[in-house]
Amino acid sequence: MGGLEGTPHLLEIRDLHVSYGRIRALQGVSLTVPPAGIVALIGANGAGKSTLLRAISGVVRARQGSVSFLGEELVGLPVHQIARRRLIHVPEGRGMLARMTVLENLRLGGLAARDRRDAAADLKRAFALFPALHTRRSQLAGSLSGGEQQMLAIGRAMMARPRLLMLDEPSLGLAPLLVREIFRIIPQLAGEGTAVLLVEQNARMALQCAAHAYVLQTGRVVLSGPAADLLAAPEVQRAYLGTG
Amino acid sequence: MPDGAFFAFLVVDGALAGAIYALVALAFVVVYKASRMINFAVGEWTMVGSRTAAAAGQVLGTGLAGALVTACVAMIGLALLFNRVVLRPLSQRSLLSLIMVTIGVGIFMRGAATVVFAGLPVRIVSPFPADPLVVGGLPVAVDKIAAAAIAAATIAALSWFFHGSRTGLALRAVASDQQVALAVGIDLQRHFAITWALVGVLSVLAGTLWSFASGGGFGIELLGFKVFPIVILGGLDSLPGTIIAAFAVGILESVVAGYIDPIVGGGFSHVASYLVLIATLFVRPWGLFGRPDVERV
Repeated sequence: MGGLEGTPHLLEIRDLHVSYGRIRALQGVSLTVPPAGIVALIGANGAGKSTLLRAISGVVRARQGSVSFLGEELVGLPVHQIARRRLIHVPEGRGMLARMTVLENLRLGGLAARDRRDAAADLKRAFALFPALHTRRSQLAGSLSGGEQQMLAIGRAMMARPRLLMLDEPSLGLAPLLVREIFRIIPQLAGEGTAVLLVEQNARMALQCAAHAYVLQTGRVVLSGPAADLLAAPEVQRAYLGTG
Repeated sequence: MPDGAFFAFLVVDGALAGAIYALVALAFVVVYKASRMINFAVGEWTMVGSRTAAAAGQVLGTGLAGALVTACVAMIGLALLFNRVVLRPLSQRSLLSLIMVTIGVGIFMRGAATVVFAGLPVRIVSPFPADPLVVGGLPVAVDKIAAAAIAAATIAALSWFFHGSRTGLALRAVASDQQVALAVGIDLQRHFAITWALVGVLSVLAGTLWSFASGGGFGIELLGFKVFPIVILGGLDSLPGTIIAAFAVGILESVVAGYIDPIVGGGFSHVASYLVLIATLFVRPWGLFGRPDVERV
């Protein structure tokens, strides 16, 4: 797992197993996320990427293994307790409250941050990040376009001042222009000090913005290393980048 | 009284009753929104709330405000206990068993009330003057105006709570999507408890106000039966819809009682709202203000 030894980890996953009934979705996944920067998780459909994020955020229960966040074991903690530790999961499909306004959705994100005095500053920052949300702040979240909803999902997550932001397929279903916009924002968040664990089918863009990456295949980590190395690796190019 | 004035009198009288119906209906709707649970015992909660206030006034010798505060504290305690001891252990069971439990609890409350409150006054005597006020030639009971005003103030406070406070925002998130609520760090159990605490407060206020306005007319637990047409017309999950429907049902009952009851010999006003309810269910099963997909789980 070159390059990360010696650095204190923000998130450390060891030998994680998750099953859905008889289907073994994760079979002994281990990975680490440093306190800053972007870690990408790539792999084919059904490789277990979303399951891994769900297991970290407590939405699905791990059968075996450990998820350590700032040295604290998360396996077995309820979902809301994990969110309160400012480990924020933006799921695929974004998890908006469609019948509440943009502003209300953002405010909800701030509930996990505890300190209500900062909420106004956080809101300002979210609007600076996504000016379109400011224009539409009184609109119902359900009336936003797909790209705007994704921005709202990320903006809401940022309201919690996350220590670790986990994004599941943020580019899914978006027009190319919006995909580029999202991939402009993610490194910006990381640059401001938020660690990001990024799950993407768009492997090329994910590898281009990440420092480190893992390749998941049928519930196992089959490859990991600096993102630039994976981008150049022939097996990655063949399987995930459609070149080579 | 001329015809127009009589009609206006009926409408005003019905609207005043509607304000109190709205409080009871809101006690029902907050629970439904938070947990999709149908509380068939809402009338009994109101009855116990009003009797607790009456008992507190008698035993402690406090005035109206002291009695209400004491009763609110006691009813919040009872509601939290009910949530913790009865509902929470059943939370993994089907909604149907929870609903059956509320019916059982309602029957238990009726039985227990006769024992616990034996020898105590049934209601607080209204502190408002008995002589009606004459507004624009219409006689309006001061009791009813005061009760409706307090009910309206409570509704306004509740509306601020749901839309202007962090806790209210969290409660609305719990009501719209529990998974999302968890994901933003909201503790569901804590917010179910807050919901039941609200039920405790609303029970005391609605019960006491109703005992002022009705002069201890019909059994207060029957107030629960008034609530079902209201919440179904209101669409079950819409707070503004519930309030509008409460006024509509109050006015409907009053007008029917004024014009039709004398013809059929009385009692039709109690049925009228149910007839409207049935008609509504044929045309708009999701209520006048609800949304068609209200039953999604």
